[in-house]
Amino acid sequence: MKAKKWYPYVLLIPTLVIIILFIYYPAVDAFKTSLYRNSVFGNRVHYVGLKNFIALFHDPEYISTLRTTFIYTIFTVSFTILASFLISLPLSENKKRIKIYRTLIFLPYAVSPAIAGTLWSFLLDPLVGQVNYVFLKVFGLQIKWLISTPYALYSIIFASVWKIMPFDVIFYIASIQSVPSELLESAKIDGANAFTRTWKIIFPLVSPITFYLIIMNLVSVMFSSFAIIDVMTKGGPGTYTNTMIYKLYLDAFTNHRTGFASAQSVVMFVLMAIVTILYFKFGQKQVHYE
Amino acid sequence: MRKSVILSVLVLAMIMSLSFATVTVTFWHAMGGQKMEFLKSMAEQFMKIHPDIKVVVQYTGSYRDTLNKLIAAAGTSNAPDIVQVFDVGTQIMVDGDIEVPMQQFIDSDPTFDVGSLLPQVLSYYRLNGKLYSMPFNSSNAIMYYNKTMFKKAGLDPDNPPRTYDEFIAACKALTKKDSNGNIIQSGFTTPLHSWIFEQMMAAQDALMADNNNGRTGRPTKTVFDSAAGLKIFQLWNTLSQNDWMINTKKEDWDAADALFVSQKVGMLITSTSDVSYMMKMAKEKGFELGTSFLPVPEGSKPGGAVIGGASLWIIKGHPKDETQAAWEFVKFMASKPEQMAWHKMTGYFPISKDAVSTMLMNGWYSKNPAHLTALMQLLLSKQDYASRGAIIGAYPQIRTAIETALENMIQGKWTPGYALNWANKQSTIAIQDYNSSY
Repeated sequence: MKAKKWYPYVLLIPTLVIIILFIYYPAVDAFKTSLYRNSVFGNRVHYVGLKNFIALFHDPEYISTLRTTFIYTIFTVSFTILASFLISLPLSENKKRIKIYRTLIFLPYAVSPAIAGTLWSFLLDPLVGQVNYVFLKVFGLQIKWLISTPYALYSIIFASVWKIMPFDVIFYIASIQSVPSELLESAKIDGANAFTRTWKIIFPLVSPITFYLIIMNLVSVMFSSFAIIDVMTKGGPGTYTNTMIYKLYLDAFTNHRTGFASAQSVVMFVLMAIVTILYFKFGQKQVHYE
Repeated sequence: MRKSVILSVLVLAMIMSLSFATVTVTFWHAMGGQKMEFLKSMAEQFMKIHPDIKVVVQYTGSYRDTLNKLIAAAGTSNAPDIVQVFDVGTQIMVDGDIEVPMQQFIDSDPTFDVGSLLPQVLSYYRLNGKLYSMPFNSSNAIMYYNKTMFKKAGLDPDNPPRTYDEFIAACKALTKKDSNGNIIQSGFTTPLHSWIFEQMMAAQDALMADNNNGRTGRPTKTVFDSAAGLKIFQLWNTLSQNDWMINTKKEDWDAADALFVSQKVGMLITSTSDVSYMMKMAKEKGFELGTSFLPVPEGSKPGGAVIGGASLWIIKGHPKDETQAAWEFVKFMASKPEQMAWHKMTGYFPISKDAVSTMLMNGWYSKNPAHLTALMQLLLSKQDYASRGAIIGAYPQIRTAIETALENMIQGKWTPGYALNWANKQSTIAIQDYNSSY
C-alpha cells in the first residue's frame, strides 16, 4: 500500500528529468553567468558581481529597447485580440461554406515565424514588392517599409498580428459558439442593437478566453517575435526595432558577451514574473464566469 | 601447417590494419548553394587520392552560426577537425587557443612550400610572423557596373567613375524618378555591411584601429573617425538623401545583388566572390557587365584592398593521425588545381601563385576579364598595415556599431560626423570590454 502513495511521483520522474535538464539547470546557470564576464570561448572568466546589471541600466540603448518592446508588445497584443475577436464573430455562425474561410484564416499559423517574416519581406520590398505596387497605384506613395523609421515598426507589428491571430480566432470561435443563443435572442427582443449585443453580452461572456489569450499572446510576442524581427529588419533601421529578446540574441550570439546577455535574460525573467503576478491579481476581477 | 598459420596471421594483420587505417576528418563550413556541392566534390576527389582518409563535409549555417557552433563544441568530442571561420573571427580564434597554428604544420612538412601562396593573402592571417589558418576563400570588394545602362544614361561605358565626385555624378545620371518623386531606377546599391566601409577605408590607406590595426599589439581603441572615414560617410549620406542610391537592410548581400541583376541600379559594390554569378546573370538578362576598382576621394593616398572571406582552421584536441589527415586535406584545398577550379566557379582569389600565372598564360583571364579585376586590385595594393586589415577581438560588435550608425544617418536622424563619431565611441567601448578578459 506504500507503493500507491509513491506511484504518481515515480511517473513524474521522466518529465522532471527533462524539465530540470533543459529548463531549470540552464536557468540557474544563466543567473550565475550574469555575474561574470567571460571571453568568447569561455577560457577566461572573471567575476564582476552586479556590474553587468548596472551597465545594462546605464546603457541608453537598453532603455530604448525596453521602450520599443513595450510599444511593440502593447500594440501587437491589442490589435491581435481586437482583430481576432471581430473576425471570429462572423466566423462563428454556422452558415454554409463558412468552414472554408475558417481554414483560410488559420493558414498564417501553419507557417513558421521565419517563413512569415520572409514572405512579408518580399511583399514589402520597396521597389518590387506587391504592397508598394498597390500603394503606388492607389496613393502614389513608395514607402521604404523595412528600412525607414516609423514604417519598420508598423511592418513587424503587422506581420506579428497576422501570424498570431489565427490562434486567437480558433479559441474565440469556440467560445462565441458556446454563448447561449437564448441570451442573444432575448436581448434582441429587448431592443439591443448589434453593437450592444457584441460588447455588452458576447465580449464579457468570452472574457475568460480573452484573459487566457492576452497572457498567451504576451509571452508569444515577447519571445518568438525574434524570428520575425531577425528576418524582416534585423533590429533596424539602426536599433529602432530592437526588442529585448532581439538585443539579447545580438549580445549573446553576435557580440559573444555571454555575461551581459545572461543579465538581460534575468531582467526579462523578473519582468515577466512581475507582469504575470499583477495580471493574475488584477485581471481576474475583470473576468466574468457567469 | 606452419605456412598456413603464418599466412593466416599475415592476412588477419592486413585486414586489421586496413580497418584501422581509415581516419575520419570532420570539416565544418559556411558555404551554401552551389559552393556546398563544390566542396563535397572536392572532398570526394581528395578521398580518391587518399583512400585511408574519410572527409565528412558539413554545412553548419552562416559564418556566425558556424562560429557559435564551434564555441559550443570546443573542447568536447563533437569538435570538428577543420572549421571555416570568417576573417573577423581571427583574433577570437587566437584568443580562444583551440587551434593548431598552420605554422606548426608548415614548419614540419618539407613537401609544402608556403612561398607558393600569394603573400598578400597570407599576410592577413599571419600574426607576429606566425600563420594561424590557411586562407581558403579570400575576396575583396569591387565595383560592378552595367555598361548597357551607362550607354543609355549618356555615360562612357569604358570609363567607370574612379573618384567620389565622378561616382556621385554617375549615380545622378543613372537615377530616374517618376512625377511623384518615386524611384524607378537608381544609380547604385551596396549591402549595408561594415565590410564595405572597411574596404573603402583601406582603399584610402586608412587604419581602423590603433597599434597598427592591432598588428603590433592588442588594439585599445578604434581610429576610423578620421578624415577618410568621414569622406565615406558623407558620400553614403549624399547618395542616400538624394535617392541616388538604394539602401538595403543590414548585411543584405542578396538584396543588393538582386537590385543590380534586375537592372534597377547601374552600379553595385560587393564581393568579388560573386563575379561568376554576375557574369552568368548579365548574359541571361542581356546586359554588358563591367568591373572596376573601388572609387576613392580626389587626392586620396593610394591605398590597398583588404582580404575578406574566411580561412580554414585546424582544431586541436584530436588524435595525432586525425590532425595529420586534416593537414593533408587543407594542403589539398590550397593546391593549384583546386584553387583554379574554386576561383573559376566563384570569383574568390586563387591563393596559389602558380594558379594565377597558369590562368594568365593559357588565356583564361583574357576571356574572363571580370575575374582579373579584384586580383589586380589586390596585387596593386600598397602593402602596409592598413591594407593588411585590422585584427580586433571585438570586431563583430564594431561591425554592428558601424552598421547601426549608417542606418541612423540614412534615416536623417544623425549627421555623418555624429554617426561616425558615435560608431567609433561604441567600438572603443566594445574593445575595452573585450580586453577586460585579458
